[in-house]
Amino acid sequence: MTNPHAEEVLALFERHRAGLLRYLLTFRIPVADGEEIVQEVFLALFDHLRKGRPRENLDGWVFRVAHNLALKRYARAQREAAVEGPERADEALDPEEQFAEAQRQDRLLAVMRALPETDRWCLALRAEGLPYRQIAEVLGISLGAVANSLERSLARLARADRRAYVVR
Amino acid sequence: MLSDDHLKDGEAERVLGDFVRAYREELDSRIPPAAQPRAMLRERLVEASEENPRWLPVAALAMAACLAVFGVYERGLLRRSADPIVPQRALTPGEARNISIAEACQGSADATIAVPTSVRRAVFREYGIRDTRTDRYEIDYLITPELGGANSIRNLWPEPYSAVWNAHVKDELESRLHGLVCAGQIDLTTAQKEIARDWIGAYKKYFHRDRPE
Repeated sequence: MTNPHAEEVLALFERHRAGLLRYLLTFRIPVADGEEIVQEVFLALFDHLRKGRPRENLDGWVFRVAHNLALKRYARAQREAAVEGPERADEALDPEEQFAEAQRQDRLLAVMRALPETDRWCLALRAEGLPYRQIAEVLGISLGAVANSLERSLARLARADRRAYVVR
Repeated sequence: MLSDDHLKDGEAERVLGDFVRAYREELDSRIPPAAQPRAMLRERLVEASEENPRWLPVAALAMAACLAVFGVYERGLLRRSADPIVPQRALTPGEARNISIAEACQGSADATIAVPTSVRRAVFREYGIRDTRTDRYEIDYLITPELGGANSIRNLWPEPYSAVWNAHVKDELESRLHGLVCAGQIDLTTAQKEIARDWIGAYKKYFHRDRPE
């Protein structure tokens, strides 16, 4: 492929695919849908670069676009679920696999799943290594709100951790 | 005694580190290998490059101009007289999504996927264009996505590269309107309406000139 924008997009895909997919999975989006969103993100990035749009902070840009697409996908899934009844995500797993899956659920991840949406997204983006400023841009919230959210979430994680030590 | 919510020195970093390890371990196990998605993206990028070649060098445009001089247009290859430099209102009235100024100006509103080939064909068919070679036309959004334009066939039309009022000129207008909206000098609805109603008129109005430079 000779188009330099396409090469750049592929390089960014290599760097960010796994991180974006991990982030999308926190929206409870199936992996296959997450893959499709990632494809859309990088096609949009190609269009963005080709139009000569700003190149600053492309790392944050891909997460922001993925976040917006995930929200749309999530909203659509919610509407469909309302019509079709509750989704049974683990239906394909047999009881043993379900048990093994449950065993893998770390206590810290359980805390994360129980967090309010924005706190969960902040924490997932922080786990992907985004600095506070980029997290604020991705989510469209203030820097202060990001700091407060992460402080709150880390306190919850720490509390769960301490309790686990007490129980052991 | 420490309250439950008080983080001890270094505890935040340790908890975050533990969390990141658990988070990655759990989620990475669900992520399939990259080879197939990578190959698919590569293929789609090739297709997108061919469909909408805004990056074509200026030399290619100069070549098109030379061909015009030698009368190639007259032989009907480009059918310039039939080029729809303005969209037909019945086919392309323009359609906008409901987005806020913040979304328009954050830079994420233009997150649209490339127009699928099937939709491109439908647009050409509607406009009665048989010569659908991709270096002639850009299937363009009448209301640009960054101003909230919808990803709908009612917002798409085949915009020629060859006319005076061409796709590149409209790109300039789109950037100008986006800048004015984000600077608060015109409202988003006005920008959407003006570009949908008469984009050439809007260009003249906002660039204060009768022809593109």
